[in-house]
Amino acid sequence: MLEVRGLVKHFGGVRAVDGIDFAIRPGEVFGLIGPNGSGKSTTVNLVCGLYAPTQGQILFQGQDIARVATHKRLSLGLARTFQNIRLFTNLTVWENLWMAENAPAHRAEAGFLKRWVGGRGNARERISQALEFSGLAHRADDLAGSLAFGEQRRLELARALAARPRLLLLDEPAAGMNAEEIAQLDERIRMLQQQGYTILLIEHHMELVMAVTDRICVLNFGRKIAEGTPAQVQADPAVRDAYLGTGA
Amino acid sequence: MDFYYSLAQIIGFHALLGLSAYVVLLTGQVSLAQAGFFAIGAYVAAMFTVLAGWHLVPAMLAAGLAAAAMACIVGFPALRVRGLMLVIATLAFGEAVRLFFFNFDYQVAKGEVKVGPLGGEGFRQIRWFPEHGWTGLDVMLFVWTVVALVAGALWWLDRSRFGAVLRAVGEDELAAQSVGLNLTAVKVTAMTIGGFIAGLGGAIYAHYTTHIEHSNFGVLLATFAIAYPILGGLRNVLGTIVAVIFVQGFLVEGLRFLGDWRNLLFGALIVLAMNLRPNGLIDAATARRLARLFGREARRA
Amino acid sequence: MGFVDYVQAIIDGLLFGTTYSLIGIGFTLVFGVMHKINMSYAAASLAGAYCGLIGPQMLGLPPWSVFPLSIVAAGVIGYVIYLTCFRFIPLASPLATLMSTVGMLLLVDEIVVHATAGMPQNYPAIYDGDPIELGPFILRADLVGVFLICVVAMAVLLALLYRTRLGMATRAVAQQPVAAQLCGMRLQAVNGLTFVVAGLLGGVAGAMIGASVGMLSPLIAGTITVKGLIVTVIGGLGSIPGAIVAGLLVGAAENLFQAVRNVTERDIYVMLLLFAFLVLRPGGLFAAARGRD
Repeated sequence: MLEVRGLVKHFGGVRAVDGIDFAIRPGEVFGLIGPNGSGKSTTVNLVCGLYAPTQGQILFQGQDIARVATHKRLSLGLARTFQNIRLFTNLTVWENLWMAENAPAHRAEAGFLKRWVGGRGNARERISQALEFSGLAHRADDLAGSLAFGEQRRLELARALAARPRLLLLDEPAAGMNAEEIAQLDERIRMLQQQGYTILLIEHHMELVMAVTDRICVLNFGRKIAEGTPAQVQADPAVRDAYLGTGA
Repeated sequence: MDFYYSLAQIIGFHALLGLSAYVVLLTGQVSLAQAGFFAIGAYVAAMFTVLAGWHLVPAMLAAGLAAAAMACIVGFPALRVRGLMLVIATLAFGEAVRLFFFNFDYQVAKGEVKVGPLGGEGFRQIRWFPEHGWTGLDVMLFVWTVVALVAGALWWLDRSRFGAVLRAVGEDELAAQSVGLNLTAVKVTAMTIGGFIAGLGGAIYAHYTTHIEHSNFGVLLATFAIAYPILGGLRNVLGTIVAVIFVQGFLVEGLRFLGDWRNLLFGALIVLAMNLRPNGLIDAATARRLARLFGREARRA
Repeated sequence: MGFVDYVQAIIDGLLFGTTYSLIGIGFTLVFGVMHKINMSYAAASLAGAYCGLIGPQMLGLPPWSVFPLSIVAAGVIGYVIYLTCFRFIPLASPLATLMSTVGMLLLVDEIVVHATAGMPQNYPAIYDGDPIELGPFILRADLVGVFLICVVAMAVLLALLYRTRLGMATRAVAQQPVAAQLCGMRLQAVNGLTFVVAGLLGGVAGAMIGASVGMLSPLIAGTITVKGLIVTVIGGLGSIPGAIVAGLLVGAAENLFQAVRNVTERDIYVMLLLFAFLVLRPGGLFAAARGRD
């Protein structure tokens, strides 16, 4: 599904990402973890196109997308959420979902004019489904900025899903959530996997990562130090060193 | 009565100017180039009616299209920068347009006299309205028909997905890209629409005043253009129109008895208004209060 | 027009360009600490130069008193602008200070027009010695004086910024406002002082513009505002060395355009120069390699 080969990103003299390889198989939940500053977020930003890589390839369904414009990656089937939620706070919940209606599937359903200047009619059904899924149906007409924190996270996920992606990038979706909300998130990720989504999960919350992922890639100082199933990774001494510091 | 017709015409073309800045401002771009597009519209329309003898309506459309084409061309380089850099770039573009017309001579003999733009002297004798026997009332109705059409079109656009897209881009460019919106396309489109509207406004202005010159289209006019939507708030087109009526009808005309001191007051009022209401006269809180007052349109609008 | 004339035009332009550099530095200083543009800055600088004229015209002081008076007056105006357009307006509303300073620009302009009844005012030259001849080229003595005074003003500013505690505080606030406050620096005081310093520089620039043109008229405020902003952008927002170089560049370029074409067309080409920079080097002359953010 997604394959990253020899990915390098320098900022000035800093090697934020220094030659990473990994491959995500269709239908799996793939975890990307590592201590702070290990290059996780930079990797996500490279994959979704906010940065251009210094070197390396990003293959999505066999096509190298390293130089494809950010907004076009969405129509290829790559959607994301942000670590520090980025909703359109002065648009309503409904309109936030409406924005993501730009994927090829939508284009096939409604012509150019209908999509851009048409009314809400033809999007209504799809958006109500997305609202149901995220439990926000009762707040459809409220401004996104007025939602509670947990609701904003759910809306951001719903907005990514509304684009009907094949691969979903979740950048620290559990940040700032309480235990109950994390349990719900866990459930939601499993549900998405059952529905056939492939997921790249970047997360600090180890319990969640270990519970929902199929495979994990561990980064430290911009390099990959381990890859494998949760059990394998947990047993890896290099990973323990990275997290606990290189004590003796 | 003629005084009021004339005032209504002034409010009309200033409303078009304000609406042109409104569209661009929705995408988060502060453009001081609107006066430049307004100037292009004024000169192009006047040249078509005076020199080529066209009817006003096709001349206005041509003026709008010329200004829109220019806005589209300017849009691309200007989009490489944002925020303050964009303000400066568009300010410079507006000045470049003004200076172009300061140097622009294109005179044609028409009977006894020569007509057409003449550099610093300006462009005189744009007399399409009187030549065709339009009264002040006719002109006023015509101007406000155009304003109503443009405002109606923008109102409808605001409610379509495209309107929400403009606002989304204005709010968070990064998130907008991530949901698949092409920033360049959206911003250039907004700029082009804004250019078209400013061109229409300029065309009307030229025929209202019958004499245009480069100094009419300076920084002051560009400031007026963005001041209207900022004062009126970006919630909908009505805010901008209310702001135009307030500024042109009340501040400029209503305070005429102050004579020269009125101009002093104008700058001071802007400074004061920004100290007291930094988010516009009608900010979100006021809008909510108004909405409660009128009891409807509480959420949408 | 031969080659010699073009070089002569460039020399004159470089000498006069130092005044653009000063205006550019003023815009850039304020941008550096507050991340806002003070649109009224150039108009206020010229207003300071106008105030200087009060000395000889109304108080009977000798002509040279214009210069110190202009500088002090511009510093005071700078502080007044800080109080009215920045101090009490939340920096989080992006458009508010832009609009308030544009309002101030209109206000300052109108006050000047009112006070002078719109008539141009004669301004004393800084020095009227004989021109200096350098081979085929001529250096106008008054322009050399303007050049030297502007260079001294820049040197004083740089010494102030890099050699004193006040300068260190300014730079700290520019880089990390919150951390600087935690270290006990009074943000408001530093911001206000920056406006005063920028105002003093503007006063020098305004006086030197008056001195080299021979008069001040309300018409030049708009032009100087736009050129000052262009210098700031070409130099890179926030970069003092950039503003210095860009000021010289704009001064030289505009005089060359004027020699090749004519004075009314000159400024069109200056605007096009700005557009070229925006397209090719949007970060300014000394920008680091461009990141995407």
